[in-house]
Amino acid sequence: MNSDSGGIAALLLLADGRFPAGGHVHSGGAEAALVDGRLDGPRALAAYAVGRLHTTGLVDAALTAAAVLRLAVDCDPRGCGPGRTLRLLDAEADARLTMAPLRESSRRLGRQLIRAATGCWPGPAVEAAAAVHPAGPHQMVALGAVAHAAGIGALDAARLSLHHTLTTPLQAALRLGGLDPYAVAGLAASLAPVVDQVATEAALAGEGPVDELPCLVGPLTEIAAVEHVARRDRLFAT
Amino acid sequence: MPPHDPGHAHAHDHDPLAAGRWPGLSLPVGPGRRSLRVGIGGPVGSGKTELVSCLCRAFAGELSLAVVTNDIFTREDAAILERKGVLPTERIMAVQTGCCPHTAIRDDISENLDTVEQLEARFDPNLVLVESGGDNLTATFSYALVDVQIFVIDVSGGDKVPRKGGPGITRSDLLVVNKTDLAELVGADLGVMARDAEAGRGGRPTSFVSLRADQRAEPVAAWIRGLLADRAATLAAASNGAGTGTGA
Repeated sequence: MNSDSGGIAALLLLADGRFPAGGHVHSGGAEAALVDGRLDGPRALAAYAVGRLHTTGLVDAALTAAAVLRLAVDCDPRGCGPGRTLRLLDAEADARLTMAPLRESSRRLGRQLIRAATGCWPGPAVEAAAAVHPAGPHQMVALGAVAHAAGIGALDAARLSLHHTLTTPLQAALRLGGLDPYAVAGLAASLAPVVDQVATEAALAGEGPVDELPCLVGPLTEIAAVEHVARRDRLFAT
Repeated sequence: MPPHDPGHAHAHDHDPLAAGRWPGLSLPVGPGRRSLRVGIGGPVGSGKTELVSCLCRAFAGELSLAVVTNDIFTREDAAILERKGVLPTERIMAVQTGCCPHTAIRDDISENLDTVEQLEARFDPNLVLVESGGDNLTATFSYALVDVQIFVIDVSGGDKVPRKGGPGITRSDLLVVNKTDLAELVGADLGVMARDAEAGRGGRPTSFVSLRADQRAEPVAAWIRGLLADRAATLAAASNGAGTGTGA
């Protein structure tokens, strides 16, 4: 990232939980895990966060990084434009979301991010992302397009994606479990090296062929996500 | 109620920041969509869901209506409305608020806006009611989500509530004081509430109702009818202006 391009400030805006992109109503599976007893203490919460980072976190970050890397070429005046790449990556994202409710909420988060970003970083990348699918682009594709438009590089975009993977369940667990906010912040900080490591892995994977991007899932969290949307008393959308 | 400023809708198109309720600005007519979006907020138990069902009853056969609910337990309010049979189930959608009802209507309205737009695309309603989850006196709606907002309190909370103020009491477009039938039982002085509300609200209206007795919330329904009429007149004037090339 060019240090005077505004990319760092944009990265901070996008990482801020106050950025209005709809994330605050999601728990990254933490509510379901608390309800069915899988999150029963600090060790379980730490393990859950690490597990998410290495599975769905890596998948999402690699797709985001792949979008940023390709858009840098496609959006060049001599490039082919952003549409084709984003549709291709959207199909790859779709194939990696095995459960219908997760596909649906990914598109919902994608269109919410595009809505928020349209006023911030307007341009061909964000417009093309909005046009990828009638229900909106998948969240990781949207994030890649927005990161590109905001001047954020692939590695930092992967870090951003993983930052959300990490903080979403921690913040939800904090609210639902009445946890110690300092302890939760400490846990997040202790996992920063994991975020960096997985981000490097994701950015590297993003350089490869799209059909070889990571495709890892946590089967139990995916099954729990389906059960979660059927619960009448849920507080978080996912 | 101050007269509407026909220029407002026009300004709204150019600068989204103008869409907030800036001091001195009259009630907005909203952008060129058909529906009027009305936010309904207020503390837990004050009668928000009851008001929504009364309004559904009042407007049945008169308007095309849709409702978004933000209850803590997300399906609870929607289930109540469905049980009462005041509106077809498919016109009621519930959103999750992640334990933060005020964030979902003010700071990050994504989930609500998305849901309102889905209902508008599907039913093309004249009126969309957005019911917030029960919160405290500081919870208010963003004017990017709703055109006007109603704040509902009840007399059983005590006659000091209007004096306590808070953005819901002082800045809502209509303050509804519900359960007037309980005033005597709880020793609340409606005169005091009316005086304090008037003092704190800068001329904006306050309605005293007992929704248990008035199952069509007549004063509130009349206020909304007035807004819809103003809105229709303003939009018609704007389109006539555009037709004659004045661009007004």
